[in-house]
Amino acid sequence: MTTESDARDELIDLAADFYDQFAAGSIPEMTLPTRTKSNIEYDEESGVWTYGDRTSTRSANSVRGARKLLKAAYTIEFLANQLDDDRSSTLRELYYLSESWNNDEAQFSSQDESNDLVEDLEIVTGVTREDFHMRPEESGAKVMGPLELREQTNRGDREIHCQLDVGQGGYQIPNNPDTIEFLDNDAEFVLCVETGGMRDRLVENGFDEEHDALVVHLGGQPARATRRLTKRFRDELDLPVVVFTDGDPWSYRIYGSVAYGSIKSAHLSKYLATPEARFIGIQPEDIVEYDLPSDPLSDSDINALESELEDPRFQTDYWEEQIELQLDIGKKSEQQSLASRGLDFVTDTYLPERLGEMGVL
Amino acid sequence: MTSFQSTIGDEEGIAEELAEGQREISIAEFFEKNKHMLGFDSGARGLVTAVKEAVDNALDATEEAGVLPDIYIEIEEVGDYYRLVIEDNGPGITKEQLPKVFGKLLYGSRFHAREQSRGQQGIGISAAVLYSQLTSGQPAKITSRPKGQSRAQYFELIIDTDTNEPEIQADEETTWDRPHGTRIELEMEANMRARQQLHDYVKHTAVVNPHARLELREPGLDEPMKFERATDELPAETEEIRPHPHGVELGTLIKMLEATESYSVSGFLQEEFTRVGKKTADGVIDNFRDVYYGRELSWSPPRAHDDRDVASAVSDAVANKGAEATTAFAEGVAETVGNNDRISRSELADIVDTVAETVEGDTGKTFGGTVRENAVDAGWRAVTGGDEADESAESDDGGPEESPLVPDVYALVDEATSTRKDDAAVRAMAEALARRFENLDGDAYRITRDDLERLVADAASFVAEQRDATFGETARENVVEAFWSRARTVPDDPPKVKSIAGDRDAAADLLEAMRTTDILAPPTGCLAPITAELVEAGLRKEYDADFYAAATRDAEVHGGDPFIVEAGIAYGGEIPAEGSVELLRFANRVPLVYQRGACATTDVIKHIGWRNYGLDQPGGSGMPNGPAVISIHVASTNVPFTSESKDALANVPAIEDEIELAVREAARELKSYLNKRRSMQQRREKQDVLGRILPEMADKVSEVTGRPRPDIDGALARIMNNVSVEREVDGETVTLVVENHSDVNEQLDITDIVSTEPTDLSDGTVVDMDGEWFVQWKPEVPSGDERELTYAVGGDPEFEVSVGGVETEKLTVND
Repeated sequence: MTTESDARDELIDLAADFYDQFAAGSIPEMTLPTRTKSNIEYDEESGVWTYGDRTSTRSANSVRGARKLLKAAYTIEFLANQLDDDRSSTLRELYYLSESWNNDEAQFSSQDESNDLVEDLEIVTGVTREDFHMRPEESGAKVMGPLELREQTNRGDREIHCQLDVGQGGYQIPNNPDTIEFLDNDAEFVLCVETGGMRDRLVENGFDEEHDALVVHLGGQPARATRRLTKRFRDELDLPVVVFTDGDPWSYRIYGSVAYGSIKSAHLSKYLATPEARFIGIQPEDIVEYDLPSDPLSDSDINALESELEDPRFQTDYWEEQIELQLDIGKKSEQQSLASRGLDFVTDTYLPERLGEMGVL
Repeated sequence: MTSFQSTIGDEEGIAEELAEGQREISIAEFFEKNKHMLGFDSGARGLVTAVKEAVDNALDATEEAGVLPDIYIEIEEVGDYYRLVIEDNGPGITKEQLPKVFGKLLYGSRFHAREQSRGQQGIGISAAVLYSQLTSGQPAKITSRPKGQSRAQYFELIIDTDTNEPEIQADEETTWDRPHGTRIELEMEANMRARQQLHDYVKHTAVVNPHARLELREPGLDEPMKFERATDELPAETEEIRPHPHGVELGTLIKMLEATESYSVSGFLQEEFTRVGKKTADGVIDNFRDVYYGRELSWSPPRAHDDRDVASAVSDAVANKGAEATTAFAEGVAETVGNNDRISRSELADIVDTVAETVEGDTGKTFGGTVRENAVDAGWRAVTGGDEADESAESDDGGPEESPLVPDVYALVDEATSTRKDDAAVRAMAEALARRFENLDGDAYRITRDDLERLVADAASFVAEQRDATFGETARENVVEAFWSRARTVPDDPPKVKSIAGDRDAAADLLEAMRTTDILAPPTGCLAPITAELVEAGLRKEYDADFYAAATRDAEVHGGDPFIVEAGIAYGGEIPAEGSVELLRFANRVPLVYQRGACATTDVIKHIGWRNYGLDQPGGSGMPNGPAVISIHVASTNVPFTSESKDALANVPAIEDEIELAVREAARELKSYLNKRRSMQQRREKQDVLGRILPEMADKVSEVTGRPRPDIDGALARIMNNVSVEREVDGETVTLVVENHSDVNEQLDITDIVSTEPTDLSDGTVVDMDGEWFVQWKPEVPSGDERELTYAVGGDPEFEVSVGGVETEKLTVND
């Protein structure tokens, strides 16, 4: 990826593009890939889903477009200065900071707007927002497992063992996991867990120690840092990755963003997605097989499942079979429903069985 | 309330009938009983009505004399009474005319005329005189100065309420400062509670009579209300017309038939109706014959292989004319008959007559009436298979003998029905029909269309019963049409006018014939529309608006009276935006002030979906809201009012349709104006916002890149889809670069004012104006294209360019 000075140059280049467009008497504009489900394509080479060829243009031709570009110009200036000063800020800080700009038109009206703009800039410049020194408000989630690493912090480098040097909570993933260097590990595989409760259950039951697992807490829709680190585990440590979520359509999307990349950040799929990641459960099949306590699918669940059937990322035999099965049985179950068979069922029975089936253990 | 419409064309109107019926009682009593109908039901309303009648009269009088009206209205308080003074600059009035015009109730020359005029019933001004006399006891005081006379004449006039006879009480010479005209002064019990209606009436009169100058003084006004004229053009003179054939009703037609001096229908039609000449009359009479007598069905003459033979039949029927003449006659008839595809009995009779005359000329033999009749009978039997058919047609159930008409009927039925029809069914239908034709009275197969339809329907149901084959409505219609179109109009003379007048059915047939004949729309010379142009001018004069539109429809007919509807719309400007739009209603240039809710115009406006035209309309129907004035003028030789007081138009569908079309026509212009205004407003807003944002963006990018501020005018012009005109001066060469970034071709008008003399113009013209040179180009620049306009100029000149032909919102000039 890019270095920091590259990042700054790319931003200035974008501003210069606008400048040249003005000077040539043409309308300033910025072309981006269309960021919709219909415009993501499977990239054979990398095995992830990235944006297709369709593009949208942000043009100063309309009041809306002109406002966007004005905000882009102000944001470019802010980011360039931030890089000059070697400072960083959060996306939310950018949103509030815009209030201090001397131009009402340039201020963001919502944080979604500033988030989107930063993503636009990432795409156009090819620089990740981490390299702009922008970080999300919510920091990355946690890792627990037999791994020793070195992290560059503001207070110097720290060497940390993710079982021995951390508390029950585990190692906190920093916003930019590329500052981490892996030193040593005894890990056999990576287990990404959706909910905090289940992660705590696995840690309490000593699952990471027993099976040499790196337990990564996703915390709902995983932050970029979490996804990036997961990918590095796979690529650099050559570890198999499995994803353990609830058995409902929303959780499949969490798996999808880990494995295939998300629609919003498809420009970074090659950097964030782990196409080798496999889904461990809860599978619709498991709901039947283990007779798990379940809730009926709501209308929005059904819509979401049907929309996943159309989602290019889920167009595999495995997913079609599972989703159709779920639509058939009309049920969904949470990870915690495994507790109906006792607190140790998940660590003693379910996971080992599933991991065995998948050839991980 | 009785609709005046119902009396159209009648000899007498309701009011007149009423008056006649009340002769035994005094005219005062009659007036008292009917004053609500005449518009004098209250003191407030009475005053407005009196002004209205007097002003209408004054306008008619001046226009008839070809003078641009200049009318003065004054209302004064005099003790317990009000005094109304109306002055005009008309031709004045003689002593002899005076009682007739002002005095006698229900006198009026217009009542019988089909001509557009303001006062239609002749009730108006005399009713005002009577009202004033009855309430104040004062005579009407009239001053008149005919043109060219040095002195004016002063009269006082009262109406003898016992006899309805006017009486002139004073008659003396006087002086008057108007060179010619009439002044009438009436005192009456009244009040000014209807001040608003009075003002509206006068203002609306000014709107609809842009050629008139009006002035109103009344006690409530500090300043007189003055309305100047907007045009010096008098309304076109109108002429009387006769009724139009499409407009009369049966009762009227019968009365006209009774009253006419014409003997023949043709003469009657040409004499009594407008737009009917010989040709149209013949057309009506042909249609009348078809309705009244029916047509004769036509049949194919026998072919070579038929055993029937016209020549030998005719030959047999002729005796004692010698072989040569007989043969020539028989063969002549047979040959002419053979030349026709189909022939009716009357046509055969014609042929026989023609051939007989020719043969008479050639041979000297006389073929008299009896011989000819015999020949026609014989020939006709040969054509139709005559006698034997008559006997076989007695049973309806299809006896063994087939009617000789069947093949002919079959051919037509087969042709008229769809190919999918079963042939047996078609044949059955043909047989059933042929039997019914045989049963017609006489041997000429004469039948009216109605009867033909009945007969075909009857045959169809017979076939349906017998054969289980259906002849649907369309098939039946096709069959009827096949026979009817091949049937011949009979040559019989139509009955005479007197006998039609006495035969209601015949009169109804004539009316139907008149209605089914295409006849030119009535002439519009009898109407004086204001014209769209002046409708607009009238609105423009009295309403300070941003937009005006007007439409005049072509003349249409209702009840034999032509009418024209005009509509105008004014929008925006000083017109109040709150509340519903103002509706101005006019009939024959007279504003309608009362009973708005009962008026057809109001109904039409309420039914139009105004949202579609850019006006607010709560609930999508009803009176629209917004800063608009809608004016509607109906001009007709006989405007149908809901009552004698002439306040509201009756709901006549033909007129309502035209009102709607006229209003919609004007409203479409309003819509496109509003759309354009909206889009210009959006453009302005966009321009404002972008004009602020883009320079800031340019500043920011120049700051970030560390370069000087870029010139963004080109980008701006492009964004605004604008036309940009930019000056480039290179030494002595001046170039104006015109770029059209819009999506339409632009026709520009560019003037560059230069302080020294320009030379070597690329094109265009140059004019020297006192040391300043006006260089003019009118370039057409296609969408997306550019033009360079160049010239050379020495020294250090000053320039000033102005650009026309394009809205300022769309223009960026960089001088």
